[in-house]
Amino acid sequence: MKKARYIITLSLFSLASIGLDSCSKNFLDKPLLGNLTEDVLATEKGVTTLLIGTYAALDGQNVGGGTWESSPTNWIYGSVAAGDAHKGSDAGDQPPINLIATGKSDPTNGFFNAKWRANYEGISRANAVLRVAEKATDMSPETKAKLTAEARFLRGHFYFDLKKMFNMVPWIDETTTEFKQPNTEDIWPKIEADFQYAYDNLGDNAPAIGRVNKWAAAAYLGKTLLFEKKFGEAIPVFTAIVANGKNSAGVKYGLTDRFEDNFDPANKNNKETVFAVQMVAKAGTGDISSGNAGEMLNFPYGDSPFGCCGFYQPTVDLVNSYRTDADGLPFLDTYNSEVVKHDQGVESSTAFTTYTGRLDPRLDWTAGRRGIPYKDWGNHPGKKWIRDQNFAGPYAPKKNVYWQVTQDKFSDRISWAPGSAINIHVIRYADVLLMAAEAEAQAGSLATAMGYVNQVRERAGKPESMVYKYNDDTDPLAGFSTDLAANYVVEPYPAGSAVFASKESALKAIYFERKLELAMEGHRYFDLVRWGIAPTEMAKFFTYESQWTSDIDGGTFTANKNEYYPIPQAQMDLSSTGGVPTLTQNQGY
Amino acid sequence: MQVTRLVCRVLPTLCMLLFLSFAFAQTKRSVSGKVVGGTDKKPVAGATVQIKGTRTATSTDGEGTFTIQGVDDKSVLVISYVGFQTYEIPVGSTSNISAELKPMDALMSELVVVGYTSQRKKDLTGAVTVVNVADMNKQPAPTITDQLQGQAAGVTITTSGSPGEPPRFRIRGFNTFGDNSPLFVVDGVPTGNINDINPNDIASMQILKDAGAASIYGARASNGVVILTTKRGKGKAKISYDGYYGTQNPNSKNPYELLNPQEQADLKWLALKNTAARTNEQPVYADALYGNGATPRLPDYILPLGKMEGDPAVDPSLYYVVPNYGDLATYNKFYRITKANKSGTDWMDEIFDPAPIQSHNINVSGGNDQGNYLFSASYFDQKGTLLETYNKRFTLRSNSQYNIRKNIRIGENLSYSIIDNPRITILDEGNAVSMAYRQQPIVPVYDIMGNYAGTFGGQLGQATNPVAARQRTASNKGFGNRLFGNAYAEVDFLKNFTFRTSFGGEYYAFSGRWFNYPTYENAENGNANSYSENSGTGYEWTWTNTVTYTKSFGDHNVKILAGTEAINSNNQYLEGNTTDYFSFDPDYTTWESGSGTATHRSSRSSVALYSLFGRVDYNYKGKYLAGFTLRRDGSSKFGPENKYGVFPAGSLGWRVSDENFMKGLTWLDDLKLRGSYGIMGNQLNLSPNSQFTTYRSDRNSTFYDINGTSNSLLMGFRQGAYGNPNAKWESDAAFNIGFDATIKNRLFEISADYYVKQVYDMLFNPTLPGTAGAAAPPYVNVAEMRTSGLDITVGSHFDVAKDWQFDITGTFTSFNNEILKIAEGQDYFTSQSRRFNGQDIIRNEEGHEMSSYYGYKIVGFWNTQAEIDAANELARKTTGSATAVYQTDAAVGRFRYDDKGAGIVTPDSRQFLGSPNPDFSYGLNLGVAYKAFDLSAFFYGVSGVEIWNQVRWWTDFYPSFAGGKSKTAMYNSWTPENHNAKAPIVENAASFSTNSTPNSYYVEDGSYLRLKNLQIGYTLNHKALDKAGISRLRFYVQAANLFTITKYTGLDPEIGGGDSGSFGVDEGAYPAIKQFLFGLNLSF
Repeated sequence: MKKARYIITLSLFSLASIGLDSCSKNFLDKPLLGNLTEDVLATEKGVTTLLIGTYAALDGQNVGGGTWESSPTNWIYGSVAAGDAHKGSDAGDQPPINLIATGKSDPTNGFFNAKWRANYEGISRANAVLRVAEKATDMSPETKAKLTAEARFLRGHFYFDLKKMFNMVPWIDETTTEFKQPNTEDIWPKIEADFQYAYDNLGDNAPAIGRVNKWAAAAYLGKTLLFEKKFGEAIPVFTAIVANGKNSAGVKYGLTDRFEDNFDPANKNNKETVFAVQMVAKAGTGDISSGNAGEMLNFPYGDSPFGCCGFYQPTVDLVNSYRTDADGLPFLDTYNSEVVKHDQGVESSTAFTTYTGRLDPRLDWTAGRRGIPYKDWGNHPGKKWIRDQNFAGPYAPKKNVYWQVTQDKFSDRISWAPGSAINIHVIRYADVLLMAAEAEAQAGSLATAMGYVNQVRERAGKPESMVYKYNDDTDPLAGFSTDLAANYVVEPYPAGSAVFASKESALKAIYFERKLELAMEGHRYFDLVRWGIAPTEMAKFFTYESQWTSDIDGGTFTANKNEYYPIPQAQMDLSSTGGVPTLTQNQGY
Repeated sequence: MQVTRLVCRVLPTLCMLLFLSFAFAQTKRSVSGKVVGGTDKKPVAGATVQIKGTRTATSTDGEGTFTIQGVDDKSVLVISYVGFQTYEIPVGSTSNISAELKPMDALMSELVVVGYTSQRKKDLTGAVTVVNVADMNKQPAPTITDQLQGQAAGVTITTSGSPGEPPRFRIRGFNTFGDNSPLFVVDGVPTGNINDINPNDIASMQILKDAGAASIYGARASNGVVILTTKRGKGKAKISYDGYYGTQNPNSKNPYELLNPQEQADLKWLALKNTAARTNEQPVYADALYGNGATPRLPDYILPLGKMEGDPAVDPSLYYVVPNYGDLATYNKFYRITKANKSGTDWMDEIFDPAPIQSHNINVSGGNDQGNYLFSASYFDQKGTLLETYNKRFTLRSNSQYNIRKNIRIGENLSYSIIDNPRITILDEGNAVSMAYRQQPIVPVYDIMGNYAGTFGGQLGQATNPVAARQRTASNKGFGNRLFGNAYAEVDFLKNFTFRTSFGGEYYAFSGRWFNYPTYENAENGNANSYSENSGTGYEWTWTNTVTYTKSFGDHNVKILAGTEAINSNNQYLEGNTTDYFSFDPDYTTWESGSGTATHRSSRSSVALYSLFGRVDYNYKGKYLAGFTLRRDGSSKFGPENKYGVFPAGSLGWRVSDENFMKGLTWLDDLKLRGSYGIMGNQLNLSPNSQFTTYRSDRNSTFYDINGTSNSLLMGFRQGAYGNPNAKWESDAAFNIGFDATIKNRLFEISADYYVKQVYDMLFNPTLPGTAGAAAPPYVNVAEMRTSGLDITVGSHFDVAKDWQFDITGTFTSFNNEILKIAEGQDYFTSQSRRFNGQDIIRNEEGHEMSSYYGYKIVGFWNTQAEIDAANELARKTTGSATAVYQTDAAVGRFRYDDKGAGIVTPDSRQFLGSPNPDFSYGLNLGVAYKAFDLSAFFYGVSGVEIWNQVRWWTDFYPSFAGGKSKTAMYNSWTPENHNAKAPIVENAASFSTNSTPNSYYVEDGSYLRLKNLQIGYTLNHKALDKAGISRLRFYVQAANLFTITKYTGLDPEIGGGDSGSFGVDEGAYPAIKQFLFGLNLSF
């Protein structure tokens, strides 16, 4: 009897346990919360949303490291490293940039890793579009081709950025599952193929102003061909753009009358816009990661109204470049023979008269300098807006600075440094014209080349592109007078100009025009490298500029090394299998 | 490990001794004796005295004496009495025996709660530390974990002075790269959080350290298990009150030794001079603040920059600041005027003030055969010494049990807590303590109109005013409450069975709100105003069912337990924020009262666990002990292939002292050897979604302004994570060997354990190559780690003279950790870049211990250019490259790094520079009682620990941002005359060879010994009290953290707070605070 009760009890208990155990099958199944799986996105709408997500990667943010490390403007890698600007701020702030600026950085410099990761994140998102588009069944072939073309355009962009930074980089596409890929293959043809596909499959009009059309693809294809030195192939592409190119809203490409319109969010996405990264302010993200966060350091310091952080100070060399001769033409070789008078070492409280020599007005949209209207923020007060003149000179950046009158709409002060809704131009039409000029000049069509250059110079000389004094210096918001802020003289090259008489000097003029027009826009380093003149130009720069500031002491550009940045050590390490890196380090590192 | 070696050497010797025994043939006779017992050694009347192995027995008389016939020299007397431990004594040749009985409850027979059941302490076979709760409760700290520091061998706890900051709690070092916090089991209910449990409610606390003890908790055992039992009522109704009130004093001295304003200016001049000298130039002294002279002069005003008295620019009528400005247009018109504080502001003194602390506990309890009850309430209120910090807690507890039949018990344990504790960030460069050394002393706290002053103007660095920052948080709130407990029923049936079911868990909610004020006084101001709120709620229930079978078959004692457990946990979180408020009045701000952009986010998660488990405890005559546990866990976190994990463990014990051959060793009261081996699991590091490859949208990173609106975003998606459906349990294979000994009637007690545990299949999310994109990498079972260590507890209890009693308990904790494997193709991972831009300070690498510091080792200074030239020559020879340099940025006066013999300094020259893991830590409790007085002291120390003093980056290097600098920079930096300096040359250039890369300059010895607690009490013994019904009245005075002996130069060598990836890195810690208290214990 007793035994029976034991057995019954034990059996009941075991049964209960087993019962509970089988219930546990469902009990232990928990759903995925707050996320989706790939299958749910395999519709036209899902693929489009993935595409929007790919555009969102253009800002280079949220991949770790400081926002500036992966800035899509390449202000560090394209401009600071090429003598457009000093790092700025003071010696101890972001010292890895000092090393980049002086050609001394090594593969462990974390900045390169951030840049690398930002671009591959973009590629990963583009690949997701391509992968999921294949699964989606509700799309017409045309729609699929268009979405695919946009994704390939964006992928091409990210690879282009990697290619010019690091040269040899691994190719990852929508079929790749092993991410440890070697970087032994030259990916130019693949980048070309992506842009070609986009050029062939996209239409004149894009579904939204922020999306790319066939002409953006054409421009990027042309740029790719230029980087590959395929000038002959590039010419027809550029010719087609000049003839028929339209922006994403279907407006024919042209140069805006007002140079500043390219940097003023009130006039964004205009006829000069070929491919721009859309930026926002106060869009409800709680931070500035979608608001030009990569430029957050690049505002005047001291008692300026911006708060952060005094980086990205134009160089004396760059400012001198804007001097013009009596004919309104630049000094291609001797621009440094005279210094545009500056206030290095002069207190803001000490009187200062500005330079009276002839200047290209683009200077005063590019560099903030003492006594000249700093947009509508008042005349630049000089030293007190500069963090350390001895370290990085007397100038302040300007293209990335928002206007006071529209600051409530276009600036974002939610973070410790300003964000803004100023779009980033990856390619604008002036760039296209200068690239076209270069291709033509290389092919010997010097007159055509000069025509393109002159379009750019003519715009620079338009009254709308000049900087004027304030009506009232104490109230800059009260508007501008009709008095020019400086002695602006800028003219196109005259017919029969000797400069465009030879290919060599024409190219020199075109190169110089790129310096002037696109200064501080992150291009110059990559231009100098592809032109093959980086070692000589940078040597001249370091010698000249180091008389003014201490930040670039010891700067060098070592040929056969500094043309490309090192493959990030972190990525070399992560690519290892069995202790051997799959990636190969660039020459010289 | 020297200590390990020592024990290994001693142990065999000890064993040899124990095996010695003697035997003599003898004839029958009688023997007399006296039996006393208890701490007061009163005679024990009525004790049974029996000749072992016979039926011959007698009892003691009123004087405790006895006489028994029929013994011989080999006889053993067994003396027993209710409430006392049974005492065995060999007769030997004596005819007069005196026996001293030890009270039962204080000793080995006490019942110890272990996994799902209880055991007599003497029968334990696992490594279980029974914490002395009374000693622990003497620490004036709000949480059990704070109080536990140094009280239990094998447990490492690091606390922080920041009110409410949970301590870092580790049992036996590291078990995983991720969360190392143990499982707490409170009255049978598992939980991860005991911060809101009132320490005064704790009756007992056991720490299960090895697999033998902990493995029955299976998947959650790997980090160790802490078992807590709360108090229950017994006897007649009793009310007691325990409380204290006191004051807390910050350090009187600013430890950072910062320069005064004039010295700051002199340092700047020195930097300009040295920098110019590099290029053989004359320095240009032109400074907006300090003038143009050969010696700097202090200005009367720092705003407008560098102005002197009488300057029209400092006319107060120009002043215009609206502190609570709402729009940028107003801000742009500000005209600030701030006088220089030429005598210097002591920012540490400005942010730290003495603050009160108080604690009150009231407790009502009682019980009888029908049941028992306990009700307690407590209030704890600690103001922080740092401005606007505090921690307030209110708790209620109700424990009751109803014995409804002789064999049926039903009861509940329930606690409710409310915590008001807005916590602050510590240990980063932006916290208040950091700002106190980063802010220059020339900056006053307030400007000429009483608004905040700061670095605005651009020449004083970019520190923020810490007083302003703290005061602006005054109306921030952080509020949490939790209901925690269980209801249970126990039924004894079929004589040997007990069935127990317990349903319990927690329901919690927390909320916080904070307002971000726009600032105007700093160099880098945030101009936005915004108001944020967050809240979270969650519940977890645990249903546990067990059946226990207990039976003795003669000398064989068996206890078998089988059970099931189901756990379901859910939580959700909400957060929102709105900008642009018309008024900043805290009573006005809500999400909807702001006019600007609104942002919100939420998340939720859900986890389930289902388990079957069993244990068998067996002993033969209490002498040979064995235990076996087995658990099978299923978890919702794992994919279908690996949902279940099985965790077995076995343990053996041998009470050597019960062996006949040991009976001659009268000095040895008890000796037990123990050993165990088993597998424990861990799944903490896995998120509930980790088995899925996910796509997600995220406002900050996947939304895009595709329509070019400048102010709005459209939704996009990206891959959020790579899933790993094949992830499985981490397994921690742990081996433990130990012994417990009691010698000479508790004059000396020792318990020691040596363990080796190897964690394999450790879940790690190896960084994917950048080519995989930024989607979160999956957790995979790749890593392996080994930890070995030694835990020792030593105690001594003795009476030196009449009325004088001494109690000493020491704990010793030591462990060695080695990472065996991280992942295929990845042999290290790093963290903590701080100001080194991606060059991380902490490196976890195969073959090294967790969380080691990594960087260049400084071997001296470059004293002459010739040294540099020679080194460069060497580098050229080494590399064969004509342009090679030995060390980037090498220059006279800068650091020379160790090249590890390579002939050139490259990233490969970096080396391990120490770690924050102590060689050992120790605690020492001293107790002295003399008549009505009692004194207790508790010392805690750690030894062989290194701290990464990141504060020095800011204070000792001139180019590390303008800011407060140290006397070291000014007076002990390299100069052509002073080659024997501490800091490098003062110059206006950051360099690889000074401050821009992690190097050994920051590594300091962080060993310390601290008097954590000193308490002197007096218990009133008076007839009048008895009449008033007062059974106990004790007063005490107490001092906490009275002194600390250390060579560490920072605020406090105990770097509490921070996360597991950053511990040991000091960038301004919230220091432990001296506390002086008066307390009262009262019982009716």
